[in-house]
This record gives sequence, C-alpha cells and structure tokens, in this order.
Amino acid sequence: MLISLNELKKLVDINISDNELFNLIGSRLVEIENVEDLAPKYKKIYAVKVLDCEDIPDTHLHLCIIDAGEKMNAEVDPEHTDFIQVVCGAPNVKKNMIAAWIAPGAIVPSTYGTQEPFEISARKLRGYASFGMLAAADELALGTDHEGIIELDPKTAKPGDPIAEVLDLNDKIIEVENKSLTHRPDCFGLIGFAREVAGILGQPFFNNYIEEADKIIEASNQRVNQAHEHKSEHNLPDSFTVSIKDYGICPRYWGMVFDFKSLPTREPYLNSDDIFLIKAGMKPISPIVDATNLIMLKTGQPLHAFDYDKFVTVGKTNSPSIGVRLARKDEKLLLLDGQEITLTENDIVITSSDTPVALAGAMGGDSTKIDEQTKRIVIEVASFSLYNLRKTQMAHGIFSEAITRFTKGRPALDLEPAVASAIDAFNKLGGTELMRVVDTDPSLFDNNNSGKTYVELSTDDINKLLGSSYSKELIIKTLENTNFKVEDLGDEQLKISVPNWRTDIHIKEDIIEEVGRLLGFDNLPTSFPLRPFVCPEIDPMLEFKTKLRTILSDRLGANELLTYSFVSKSLQEKVGEDPLDSYQIINSISPELECFRQSIIPSLLDKTRENEKAGYKDFTLYEINQVSKKSWGLNDENVPAMKTQLGLTTFGDFYHAKHILAELSRTLELDFELRPISNSAMFEPLHSAAIYLDQIQVGELGEIKPYVLKKFKLTPSISAISLTLDPCLSAEKQHKTSIKLSKFPFVSRDLTFSVKKDTEFISIETGIKTVLSQISDIIYILEPVSIFRKPNGDQKNLSFHLEIASKTKTLESKEISDIIETIISSLKTLGAEVV
Amino acid sequence: MSSLEELKLELKNLGQEYAKIKTLPESERKAFGEKLNAKKSSILNAIREQEEAAESINIEPIDLTAPFGENTSPFKLTRGTKHPLSIELDHVAEIYRQMGFSVIEDRQLDDEFHMFDSLNFPAGHPARDGYDTFRTSEGFIPPAHTSTMQYRALTRFRDHLDKYGQIAVVIPGRVFRNEDVDATHEHTFYQCEGVFVSKDATLGQLLATWQKFFETYYGQKLNIKTQPGFFPFTEPSLEFQIEKPKSLGGKGDGWLEMGGCGMIHPNVLKTAGIDPEAYKGFAWGGGIDRLVMLKYGINDVRYFESGKLEFLEEF
Repeated sequence: MLISLNELKKLVDINISDNELFNLIGSRLVEIENVEDLAPKYKKIYAVKVLDCEDIPDTHLHLCIIDAGEKMNAEVDPEHTDFIQVVCGAPNVKKNMIAAWIAPGAIVPSTYGTQEPFEISARKLRGYASFGMLAAADELALGTDHEGIIELDPKTAKPGDPIAEVLDLNDKIIEVENKSLTHRPDCFGLIGFAREVAGILGQPFFNNYIEEADKIIEASNQRVNQAHEHKSEHNLPDSFTVSIKDYGICPRYWGMVFDFKSLPTREPYLNSDDIFLIKAGMKPISPIVDATNLIMLKTGQPLHAFDYDKFVTVGKTNSPSIGVRLARKDEKLLLLDGQEITLTENDIVITSSDTPVALAGAMGGDSTKIDEQTKRIVIEVASFSLYNLRKTQMAHGIFSEAITRFTKGRPALDLEPAVASAIDAFNKLGGTELMRVVDTDPSLFDNNNSGKTYVELSTDDINKLLGSSYSKELIIKTLENTNFKVEDLGDEQLKISVPNWRTDIHIKEDIIEEVGRLLGFDNLPTSFPLRPFVCPEIDPMLEFKTKLRTILSDRLGANELLTYSFVSKSLQEKVGEDPLDSYQIINSISPELECFRQSIIPSLLDKTRENEKAGYKDFTLYEINQVSKKSWGLNDENVPAMKTQLGLTTFGDFYHAKHILAELSRTLELDFELRPISNSAMFEPLHSAAIYLDQIQVGELGEIKPYVLKKFKLTPSISAISLTLDPCLSAEKQHKTSIKLSKFPFVSRDLTFSVKKDTEFISIETGIKTVLSQISDIIYILEPVSIFRKPNGDQKNLSFHLEIASKTKTLESKEISDIIETIISSLKTLGAEVV
Repeated sequence: MSSLEELKLELKNLGQEYAKIKTLPESERKAFGEKLNAKKSSILNAIREQEEAAESINIEPIDLTAPFGENTSPFKLTRGTKHPLSIELDHVAEIYRQMGFSVIEDRQLDDEFHMFDSLNFPAGHPARDGYDTFRTSEGFIPPAHTSTMQYRALTRFRDHLDKYGQIAVVIPGRVFRNEDVDATHEHTFYQCEGVFVSKDATLGQLLATWQKFFETYYGQKLNIKTQPGFFPFTEPSLEFQIEKPKSLGGKGDGWLEMGGCGMIHPNVLKTAGIDPEAYKGFAWGGGIDRLVMLKYGINDVRYFESGKLEFLEEF
C-alpha cells in the first residue's frame, strides 16, 4: 500500500521531521518497506504555454514555440527571453495549451533512479533546433499513457511554474508492508492510517466522515424519502430490494441509486484527484469509477458501481432486486475486463433477481458495466466473508486493490463512513440519491443493540503485563486519541468501548497491546525474570546427538550432512523402500520432495554420487535426523511415530563399517552385537549384519548391494551404517575399564594358526582367551595382527600378538612357554594348527 | 673463529682459572667469579653452535612460500566436519541453557492441533494459509514454525510452575514451508523457539531476555528495537530487531530482523491447562540459518542442504 505524506499531513498535524515520523511509524504502527522522495524526480520540469505550433512537412512532428517563463526562456537562449523552440511528435499538441516541459539537462522522470537515466538535451531534429521535451504521462511517471502529452489546467498552471508545485509532487510516498497489517482492515484507508499516526504522535484524531457520517446519511435519507413520494415523476419502481441468502458470506449490504441528469465527463487536465490516485498506484478512469476508488483509498472500504438501467434489464423485472448468494457449480460470468470465468461454489456473486452480475468483492460483470450512456448508477457498499474472498482470489487470480482490502475483513458495522463519502462525492458530481436499501445480519446487534464491544480492565492489568507504570490519565488519553471511548469506573478500573472499525479487539490483552504500541514498546523498562536454583534440563537425545557428532566428525573424520526430509518415490524405489509406506506431501514443491523419508541412507547415497562426481574420493558422510513410516503407526499424541536415525556411508568393505561401529560402541559404552542378516533390500546379505542392542534390532551395517549402487551410478564397495538412536538412550551403559597395568614386565609372543577357510575368527579368538582366563594372576592383551589366505586356498592363517604379564612376579620363560603350549594344544581341538 | 678443539681446550683451561679464586682477597672474589662464569657460558654457547652447525651441514634451504615440497603431491587431508547448522544450534542451545532454559527436541511431522488449534488460530482462518504449510494426505503437517512445540513445552513443564514458579524452555527445530527456493529462501530451515511463563512475566522481561541472548551470542552490548507484529498466539505481538553487531561489520546504524515475539495469548495458556489469570508468559522465535549465514558470510541458503563437501569442508 502506498501512502502520500502530503495527504497524511492534511489529516494529521505532524510536528516532527519526516525521518523521525518514518521511524516512529516503523516502530509503532507498521513496517515501512520503502520511502520514495518524488521531488528530485521532477527537478527542472515546468508548466509551459504553447504559443505556436506548426506541422513540419512530411513528418508527424510539430515545430512548437513555447513560453516557459522569462527565467527559463533566458536560461535556454539568452538572445530570446520570450520563447523557446521545441520539436514535438505528440498528436495532441496544439496552440495555447499548457503542457509539461522537461528542460535540457533534466532527467526524464520515468528513467530517474534506474540503471539508465535519460538526460534531456538540446539537439537538432530534421534540421530544427529543439530544446527540451514536451512530456507524456508515462515519461513523467504519472501513469502509462503515451498517446499524447499531458495537458495542465490553465487556471492553476502558469508558464514557468515548476510542475512539482503544480501537481503536488514535492511529496514522499510511503510504501507499507501489507502483511504487517493483515489484522487491521481499518489501516487500509488513509483515514484509518492517519488515525494511527495521530495516536503514535500523542494527538487526538478527528475526521469529519467518521464523526458526521450519520448526519450526512440522514440528510440524504430525507431526499430519498422525498423522491419516493414523487416516484412516478422520477420514474422509480414500486420497490427496490436487497436479499442476502446467508449472512455468513455477507453480513451487511448497502445499495444506493444515484441519478445523474448527464454523466460527468473527464476534464482534459490532470486534477488533484487524479494525482491522489496516481500516487496510490492507481489509474484515473472516469469520474464515477475514480470517485469510488478515492473513497476506497480514504476509508478502506471498496465500493462498486453498476449501471442501474442495465441492472434492471438483466433482472427482467420492474422492481429491481439485488441478491447476494454463493455461485452455483459451473455458473458462468463475463467480467468487465472481458474475461469469462467459471464460478466455484465458494464464490460469492451479486445478482439482479437471480442472474449473477458481479463477482462480489473482486470484480464487476460486463452486463452492468458503466458506459457513456449511463444515467443512473447503483452503488454497492458491503462487507463480505474474507474466507470466501480469499479462496476466490486464489481460484481466479484476481489481486485488485478492492479484494486486497476485503480479504482483511471489512468490518460490517463500519460501512457508514464510505456511504457518507459516496453521498457527498456523487452529489458533487451532480448525482442525486433516489433510492436506498440496507440488509444487515441482526445478530451483529445481539449483545446490546448497539453492536458495540466493550472491554473492562484495570491500569494494573496493563502495567503488569507490559512491565510499565503508566498513569490512568495517560492510558485514557492514549486510547481516546485513536477514538476509543473510555469510561473511568473508578478504583483504576476502565470500561473501554471499541470503535466499530476495530474488529480485532476483544480481550484485555488487545487493549494492553494498543497502549504499549501507541506509547512505544521500545520505551518499556526492561528487567530479567528471577531464576530458581535448578539445573535446566536438556533432552537426552539432543545431548546424545551432539556426542555422536563429535565422535564421528572429530574422531573418525566423517562429514556431517543435512539433507531434505522429503524425498522422491524414485529414490525410495532405488533402495527397495515402499513409497506407499511414506507420508505423502500432497502439496509438494516437486516430485523430488513428495515423500517423508523412511531412512537416511538413500539421501546419503545420492550425495555420495554427487560428491564423487565433483572429484572427491574416500569420504565418509553421515546425517542424524528424523524418519517415519506409516506402518509404525501413531504415537500416544495421535501424531506419526518417528525415530531418530543415524545414517552413514563410507568407501570400503563391511569391515570398514564394522570398525566405525566398534568405535561408536567403545566411546558410547554401548554393547552392540552383530547378527547375520537374512533379508535386506539395501544391504548385501553375505556382507552385512544386523545390529542388536539389548536383544533388540537397532540397525544394519555392511556393504550396499551392487544392484542398488548401480542405480545410483556408484561403483561397488560402499558400506553403510543405519542405526536407530532412540533405543540407544535407554540401553544400559557398559562401563568397561580396560586399563591393564602391572609393575612386572610384559612379555610378548606372536602366534599364527592355520585353520579351514570357513572357520569363524571369533571361535579361535575365544579359544585363546578361554585358556588365558583360566590362568590365575595374569593380565594380557591379545590383538589380531593379520588374516591371510592364499588365492583359492582352503586354509587361512590367523595371526595374533599376545602381551602377557603376571600381577605378582616376573614371568620366567618356562612359564611363558607352558602357557603358549596350553593355548596351542587347546586350539588343536578346534582344528587350528600352530604355524 | 676458533675450532671446536680450541674451544674445548679453552674450556678445560678455564678450570684452572677457577682454582685461582682461593688466592684472591675476599673482596675481589665475587667479581672474578662472575667474569669467569660469563666467559664459560660464552664458550659453551660457541661449542653448541658449532656442534649444531655440524649436524645440519647437509640441510639445504627450501622455498618457504611453496604450498608443498618439491617432487611431492599436494596435501589431501581427510578432515571430519560438523554441519554449520548443527554447530550453531548446539551453541544457541548452550547459551539458553546457561541462562536457565531447558532444551527440548522438536518433531518433524505434526498435526493441525499443534500447528494451529493450540496456538489460537481460529478454525478456517486465512492466517492458517499464511504459513505456506505442507500437508500429508492424512492431514499431518511438517511444522512451519517451532511454535508447534509450545503446547508440548507448556504441558510437559506445567508442574514446574508449582515446583519452581516458572517454565523456561527453548526448542530448536527444523521447519518447512512451501516456498520457492532461491538464494535467501529455503523450504527447509531451522528455528529456535523460546517459552517463559511465571506469575509476573512482563513484556519488558521478554525484551531483556532476548536482548541478553544476542548480547551473549555476539559478545557485545547491543541496542534493540521492535515493530508491531501480528501472531494469533501472542498478544501483544512484536517483531524484534538488534543493532548490527560489530563482528558483522555493524557501525551502530544498521538493524537486523531477528524474528517474532510477544506475550503468550491467554487462549494458548488456557489450552495448555494453565490459568491465564494467574500466570503470564512470553514466547519468541527466530531463524537459525540466517545467523549462520551472517556469521560465516554465506550468500546462498541452498548450500545448507546441498550435501556438497566443497561447502561442508569450510567448517
């Protein structure tokens, strides 16, 4: 929304600098996106009189002699202080008109501040010297018109007057962020905005159309009654009705008929109303439409004008009847922009009898469009359901100034200012109000006849929530400045009557916000809450994840990734996951992001491939994040059960992944156990294992199937770990201290056993440990050194390094040999021969 | 220069000089001893220098400016890295913990109740559209803000009101919005939510608390300012800004928007079983991605979920 500072100043007495005002608005009313200073754009542009105008033969050009005032005339050519010569191509340039002239050296306003500002110069055209340029509306950034040059009113513009003064362009335009006013329909009009500005400046706000609306309406009502008494004279029907089918979609509708003896026509000059519209980002169209738009920009209430006679014709009845209802399925409506739309059952339509003539709140219909023949108009001032209009906006892609305001929820009881403004505006244009109908949801007055909302609260309520110490007097004044009515109930209790336009205020806190905001939240004294003497908690999962990351990244050299929680069906199918077991995002951005992921590894394989393509080799990726499957069901909160999962991929074989898990097992003090995997979609069963903890399967580890890797365009020998972390939190910690100290020397021996190739390593290792554990008073360290098998050999050699010491004495070589002999003979029973 | 042998001989001779001390009068001994000591240490230094030089005789000069040696390959360190967002989330949580706030986990699939109903969004209100929420075919919602956790935080710690007189919780979490992705917008990003409830919580305390967090985070005093805001779950509602910190090139003029905050709406407290007449609360929430981007000068938010090692190895 665009607000003219000059217009704002007409409604509020602003006694601070512009920048102070903008800061104040930003901190107490609404976010300002931008402020555009118009003045520099219109430097060296003047009103000029065309003294003479001759066609240049064989061209569309005209040779013009203009008067730009003595000073400018002299500046252009000191020899001729009475005129300047300009060549102009516009078809509408004519002798004696007052035009806008861009002097040599000035920048064309439409290019001002752009990448390529265009500077006007003196030059020769077809051999004629031309100084400066006569400008069209688009060149002046005052609209899009390029048909001809603009014409100024000779009553207000004299040759040599700076155009910025003539057209009130020494102004600043405030661009307001609409989003931050979503809940404030009243601020979408200049009057409502000005009221707030007065409020934050600590001034009482007064506006005639608010205070005097009822009087203006009443006065016009008398004229309507008189007209009714002479209805045949005015050629009026017996009745004029409005019927709202459902107050839920339209709580209030006000219809007025104005009669014009002849419809007002546009002057050729840009007038102040045109400039008002242009500054607000709109376009002057015709006096009637401009009047409705001006009222909307000032009051925030959009209006619509129908051609009365066309309206009656469409309804095929002598007694015109306005209807408001929901559209029927597949009903069609030709809009006034020439586009035919198919209505939805959510759209609200205005009907004549039962025929739709307008898409309520969005756009009028072609069949009742105002044209040059129009003599009488029907003016609609109504409130519609923002819910319906929001959907209408989306369904038909209509984003007009009107619907922007309606979707903020026009307060049904705040139509009077717009009605009064309309009566005034159309009277001034020569129209007389002949008929009027109003239909209002009676439940709006349910509470206490007036439809008013009251909030009672104490000054203490306000100060306790804000942490302030505002006096009762200051609070009352602050609220009254923005037209709240405050009744002092005594004992610091206040009864606040909420204005009709503040549909956002219902409870104490709403009033407290008003006081805090208008007086400035930034002025509140700050203090800290007192802390109890307790240690704050942290979710164990958060701590566990932090620890896990430290081990994986800082100790094991892995790289942590974060990837999207949403994946594609095709990604899931690559690893044999069933996409139907995923929660499907119905409004996903793309098919790539359709399914909530069931596991982390597929995303990692994808990223492994991308990084490999980028030239990286031998890296380990991991991610810790939430996953879910539909088959896991819902939890006790009735939301999908979720698990936190560690996924890890690395270059290397099964043992590589196993080594990483062993490191996790040791550092996390968790006793992971590996068991054979019988069936897995992602892991190669012969080269992978299931991870168990406390007899529960918590994950899988090992080599990814070559078949799967191929789908990711990865070459074999990539291993992975998938580990569900939730059970790890509750598992019992295995505090293993393996510090082995003796004050007597360790003796070391290397042992190699030859076994059949399918002998399990663990059986031999356990065999050795069993023997050692039966010898009293010794400590030992047994480390596997190598596992060797000749290509295609039937036997393999397992080599160990053994360090052994006694806790009580220095071992003698005889004692060592005895121990080794015992191991050798014991292992013989397992089929292992010492080498 | 004397040869090593000469030096060693000199050192040996010095021994005899020392013997002369006894023959001198008491008053001269000190000065004489000091002179000999100085001489001895200079001989020892000279010997050491010569011995060192002898060992290094075959060491040739190298180009100290080269990144790696002649006839060797460029270094390729395999460096483990944590994701910058993880690092920052931990850091943020740690500051809040030190300030007395408990830290709880978020969840990435939620429902209409936690996303909207419990937060005082009227049923069918267009404000529900304003969050560009994703939905699953079952009607579940990947949360569009960490405020989805407010109800859980309030109910989980409700007993703290009796025990300690207050609830103080922060919730870092991953959130999702149906937005077109570009350099400054992601459909997946991170936020941190804060919730505080006590008998006498005030808006002034809210401002002080969040200001303190940023002062700790940036390690300097910071001015703050606010803008009126609108959230159905807070009343009053504010947008919070901090002065641009020095570490980010701030010179006391620029401002950074940090998120929304306000006093918890009485309906939100009521829904969570807390009497809004007896207790007041405040809540705030802001994005984490932007903090990280500013801190490290990252100019494109899309790097975060890109999985590119080229990016991750920077951290």
